[in-house]
Amino acid sequence: MAQDQTYWNPVIETLPREKLRALQLKKFKRIFAWTYEHSRFHRALYAQAGVRPEDIRSFEDIRAVPKVEKSMMRDIQRKDPFPYGDALCVPLEEVTEFRQTSGTTGQPVYQPDTWQDWEWWAECWACILWAQGYRPSDRVFLPFGYNIFVAFWAAHYAAEKLGCEVVPGGVLDTKARILKIQELRATAMMATPTYVLGMADTARKMGIDPSSLTIRRITCAGEPGAGIPSTKKRMQDAWGAKVFDHAGATEIGAWSFECSEQPFGMHVNEGMFLVEIEDIDTGEIIEGPGRRGKMVITAFDRQAQPCVRFDSKDVIEWDPEPCSCGRTFRLIKGGVVGRADDITKVKGVLLAPSAIEEVVRSIEGLGDEYEVIVDKIGDSDRITLKIELLPDARGKQRAVEAALVDQLRLKTNLRYDLQFHDYGQLPRYEVKAKRFKDLRKDH
Amino acid sequence: MVDEAQFRKMAEMITEMRTTAEGLHAMADTFPAVKRNTSRMLASLKMLSINVCDLDDLARTE
Repeated sequence: MAQDQTYWNPVIETLPREKLRALQLKKFKRIFAWTYEHSRFHRALYAQAGVRPEDIRSFEDIRAVPKVEKSMMRDIQRKDPFPYGDALCVPLEEVTEFRQTSGTTGQPVYQPDTWQDWEWWAECWACILWAQGYRPSDRVFLPFGYNIFVAFWAAHYAAEKLGCEVVPGGVLDTKARILKIQELRATAMMATPTYVLGMADTARKMGIDPSSLTIRRITCAGEPGAGIPSTKKRMQDAWGAKVFDHAGATEIGAWSFECSEQPFGMHVNEGMFLVEIEDIDTGEIIEGPGRRGKMVITAFDRQAQPCVRFDSKDVIEWDPEPCSCGRTFRLIKGGVVGRADDITKVKGVLLAPSAIEEVVRSIEGLGDEYEVIVDKIGDSDRITLKIELLPDARGKQRAVEAALVDQLRLKTNLRYDLQFHDYGQLPRYEVKAKRFKDLRKDH
Repeated sequence: MVDEAQFRKMAEMITEMRTTAEGLHAMADTFPAVKRNTSRMLASLKMLSINVCDLDDLARTE
């Protein structure tokens, strides 16, 4: 029966690498030609670089195609054809979906999609959910706002496509969502890691052990967390469920997924996307495993506002090992390990904020919430870490602090000013957290 | 698992369905129910093409 099958697409997901690469090249040429033909913005960019569709014959040729950054999209939008501007590749009347980015890095970027693009979004997510074990027998609870951000919209349609029963938990508050999960015996849900942990906390305050609920599968997206081992463990322990990571973006699509083997990494959906990894300093393409770089990504089938060699700023590296799931889609080791614009130098040491989270959430006795503040005292950097001591760890603060100092030094090579707070004193975030604050003007 | 002959047959059937849907869509300028529903069908058929025909076409040209 279809639902006994391991793969959503058993042919493409297990295609030998050389055939997959040939498919990718063919599809890149197709989307590049489409974009060149239909987007005034992109054609001007390509004309300036002297690159035409007929020039693309190999992966090396692809590197000559200029990259697009988010800031470039901001600059061309809010103009005719309103509000998308010159990157719109279809008549305005074919746009059926409007979404926008969250605006955390600047003015939001608008994203138009045709109905075909929306189907494509659901198709990308269908591959993800099937790989994570979702099946028609699942009752999937979606506790998100169903609003102007793409968030889990496409996941909703994908779950329907798979034949799952979908429960939209949009308007309900957290307590009502927990009660609804309990009432309906939902078997799966999707949320940001911050919200997954927040829901668990709320459930416990309601006198409900979240691991006693029927949730067995949780897909996380929207922020790092499910790819950070200690955060994943906290979520899995709290809910008694398997937690899976996914990375996607409004401007890109749903490009990666952790499969049911949970390989400490994520597959790139290489049938739908071309991922290139670029050295952050030199711009050289990193072909092999073992070196981190910045992701440049192309979505092969998105038409209204194509994503062709988009500089995502996500930092990733290829995993040297194939996955035991049997997919030939490559793994990125540890998932998205940070963002090129988040990784910063503190006291001369390169620091990825995710490394701090990994340490904090690996220490017993510390709460889930934390805050990092980087500022300057005179000319010297200072990094302050605020953490919460769990109520049952009172009296053990010295031991907890010793473990924390030790691990922070090992994992980040830095010394921190530590501030312990009582449980519940630090800010709580509803959906996405902003825990790392860099107050230095010249960082 | 799907064998090569089945895969090829799937690709042919998808192409036939697309041709039929495109034909119906083209006829339906004065019939909104058909026009809009065939638009949706064509979007779904595109997904079938992505999953099957793109790879089949590649195999045929190699």
